Amino acid sequence: MDIEVLTISGATKNFGGVRALNGASLTLYAGEIHALLGENGAGKSTLLKTLAGVHKLDAGLITLNGLPFVEGSTKLAREQGIAVIYQEPNLFPDLTLAENVFVGRQLEKGRLVDWTGMAQEAQRLFDQLGVALNPRARARGLSIADQQIVEIAKALSLNAKVIVMDEPTAALSSQEVDRLFRVARNLESQGAAVVFVSHRLDEVFELTSRITVMRDGVTIGTTLTLDTTEADIIQMMVGREVTDLFPKTTAEVGDVVLSVKGLSSEGLFANISFEVRAGEIVGIAGLVGSGRSEIARAIFGIDNYSAGSVYISGVPLHPNSPSQAMRAGIALVPEDRRLQGLFMAASIARNSSITVLNRLRKGFLVRAKAEADLAEQWSKTLQLKFADINDPVERLSGGNQQKVVLAKWLASKPKLLIIDEPTRGIDVGTKAQVHKLLNDEAHKGLAILMISSELPEVLAMSDRILVVREGLLMKEFARDDATSEKIIAIATGAVTV
Amino acid sequence: MNKIVLRLLNVREVPVFVALLLVLTVTEIANPHFISKSGAQDLFLGVAVIATLSVGQTFVITMRHVDLSVGSTAGFTAYMIGRVSGYHHGLIFCLLVALAIGLIVGACNGFLVAYLKLPSLVVTLSSLWIVRGIFNQIVSGNTITDNQVPNSLGYLGRHSFLDIPYVFIVALVLVLVASFVMRNLRPARDLYAMGSNPPASALAGIPVARRTFFAFLACGAVSGLGGAILLARFHSADSNSGLGLELNVIAACVVGGVAIAGGVGTPYGALLGALLLQSITLALGALGVSQFWQLAVNGALLISAISLDRYLSLRVKPTRILRAT
Repeated sequence: MDIEVLTISGATKNFGGVRALNGASLTLYAGEIHALLGENGAGKSTLLKTLAGVHKLDAGLITLNGLPFVEGSTKLAREQGIAVIYQEPNLFPDLTLAENVFVGRQLEKGRLVDWTGMAQEAQRLFDQLGVALNPRARARGLSIADQQIVEIAKALSLNAKVIVMDEPTAALSSQEVDRLFRVARNLESQGAAVVFVSHRLDEVFELTSRITVMRDGVTIGTTLTLDTTEADIIQMMVGREVTDLFPKTTAEVGDVVLSVKGLSSEGLFANISFEVRAGEIVGIAGLVGSGRSEIARAIFGIDNYSAGSVYISGVPLHPNSPSQAMRAGIALVPEDRRLQGLFMAASIARNSSITVLNRLRKGFLVRAKAEADLAEQWSKTLQLKFADINDPVERLSGGNQQKVVLAKWLASKPKLLIIDEPTRGIDVGTKAQVHKLLNDEAHKGLAILMISSELPEVLAMSDRILVVREGLLMKEFARDDATSEKIIAIATGAVTV
Repeated sequence: MNKIVLRLLNVREVPVFVALLLVLTVTEIANPHFISKSGAQDLFLGVAVIATLSVGQTFVITMRHVDLSVGSTAGFTAYMIGRVSGYHHGLIFCLLVALAIGLIVGACNGFLVAYLKLPSLVVTLSSLWIVRGIFNQIVSGNTITDNQVPNSLGYLGRHSFLDIPYVFIVALVLVLVASFVMRNLRPARDLYAMGSNPPASALAGIPVARRTFFAFLACGAVSGLGGAILLARFHSADSNSGLGLELNVIAACVVGGVAIAGGVGTPYGALLGALLLQSITLALGALGVSQFWQLAVNGALLISAISLDRYLSLRVKPTRILRAT
């Protein structure tokens, strides 16, 4: 007899004009491990954040243990018995593990904090989870795996009935994954409902008893893990409706611009080799945390690497020197434009000219007029919408901000453009504009290396597609051979190559 | 045995204590008259005010804020006690005056930082000047002299118990009580959480604004108390009283293991820091080193303290993507 712990029905949520959830549903039973799957943008995160108390649904009903779930407060979510373990937990590094478990609600003896009692209780929880951690040690320097365990212990001490693990295995070693699985099964046998979000299908099939697949904000289906196959699940995940893609045209392919040979960085990626030619768009597909962005950072010289080499037009590049990479003709549009791509408080003009200040100089001074002219010219090319070229970029919409990042790098007249998540968080119309721009630049002979979590984007825009998984380059597809199914199967580990 | 040594090494205050002993020992060897009754009195008298003020500062720095107004508040309080009280006023009256002024400044700082979310550095820099400005206006060239200092307070500054000056004993009691509170009361533990990981502390249900307000309020109250001790110790006050003290206080905290980035540190650590800085000053004097060098040595000590912190916090394992096989 299955007891329903949590039911979600008709969950709907809009962010601005974007519909993140469109009537999604989910039912969890006591004592099960339930996988929640879906591509990026399927609505998983929104659903999880609602359970965590971060978002409030526009419409829909959530019932927890037969009572309506009060949304919109992380504190209340916790008190109602829902705990969310994030991929990167958020501990207090200066506090002991015991105090981390009880933070904000330390055990007391009389009016004083009961240190002994707290340490004993934390020890009991760690024992119950079957892990060896010292409750009196400080959290600083703890591995991510151990930090997750502390969060799980906290969930237990709060008597959580629903424990959500959001991509917990993305940064763990295989032994750590084994331990986490033991802990999850432990929780399952104690009657908790564990939600396991992962893109690794092998893990999902090893661990979970039921699987729910989401796509485009709706629940596609729920099935017993034993009754299904990886191929069926992939079939349910793909097939997103894609209406907003720009039709790519093949450009004339020229000489090799970027050549990466045997690039390795300890613990991050190993033996990565590939080439990108002028006029070519090469897509890198892979899960978040697969090492895609780390490879891009190493090529651009932000991070050092331990072995291998990078060549631009046959000339070797020094490791760990972004300024030399720029001089050699590389441009990098990073995945997080707010933190890495722009100076949010500086003007559009300032941001667009930052890569070419040397060209705009007269003596020691940068000419403001030249800066503004350059920005005006690029904003016309990119159809940027703004009130004043001297407005800070933080006033622009996400899509227009992305255009400024592109302007700043295209102004440097690069040979190679590395673009990480070209259209994340930007509206449909701007998306198509960015795609058109990339297509046009390729025709002008730019070599483009594009990283994206959006599979339809990778498929539509790339001449060739590289698939990475866990820091290794697993497979290269020619444009005509690539399909969503094949790529997901490799990226998630459903098939080994 | 080894385990105990290892655990001791993990306590942030231990290296400060060891350094203090080292300074005293080395100086005593070089100048055998250094450790004496009068030497000890110099040291204790010298740190009494700083140690008191650093208690309040510890509350504030622990939650990753700073209070620059403590020197002005203490100086102003010292003057006002002398101004509003006569020779025969008792200790209680002096304390009430001290607390009243301290609480007002603390409440203003706390309100601006906690509820209007203004950066504490700028807020307390402003209150440093505002309090000093009002102070100068009221003083207008006057001085509080020995005969205006309430006898009860003056007595504390002149006398000792077992050769330990009363003003130091007051500071010491305050430090010990505050250390106990910081270790064992839940609201105080929240200050550590807030300094250690500000975004997570709000998510953990800690009433961040309220805690911030009360920590600044407490720091203000302690600063008022520091003003009373300042008056007791010097038997006089004028418009320069307490000038620049905030920097010595912050230095004592940081050297004593109260990390400027918040999350760690204790009032007794700050006391040890104050003792270390003061004993170095005295030691260099005893060794005949010019006092300009003494400032430079203090600066070097500060840099070593924060370098140690930086080194310790860098030892965090990086994320791993490649699976160990």
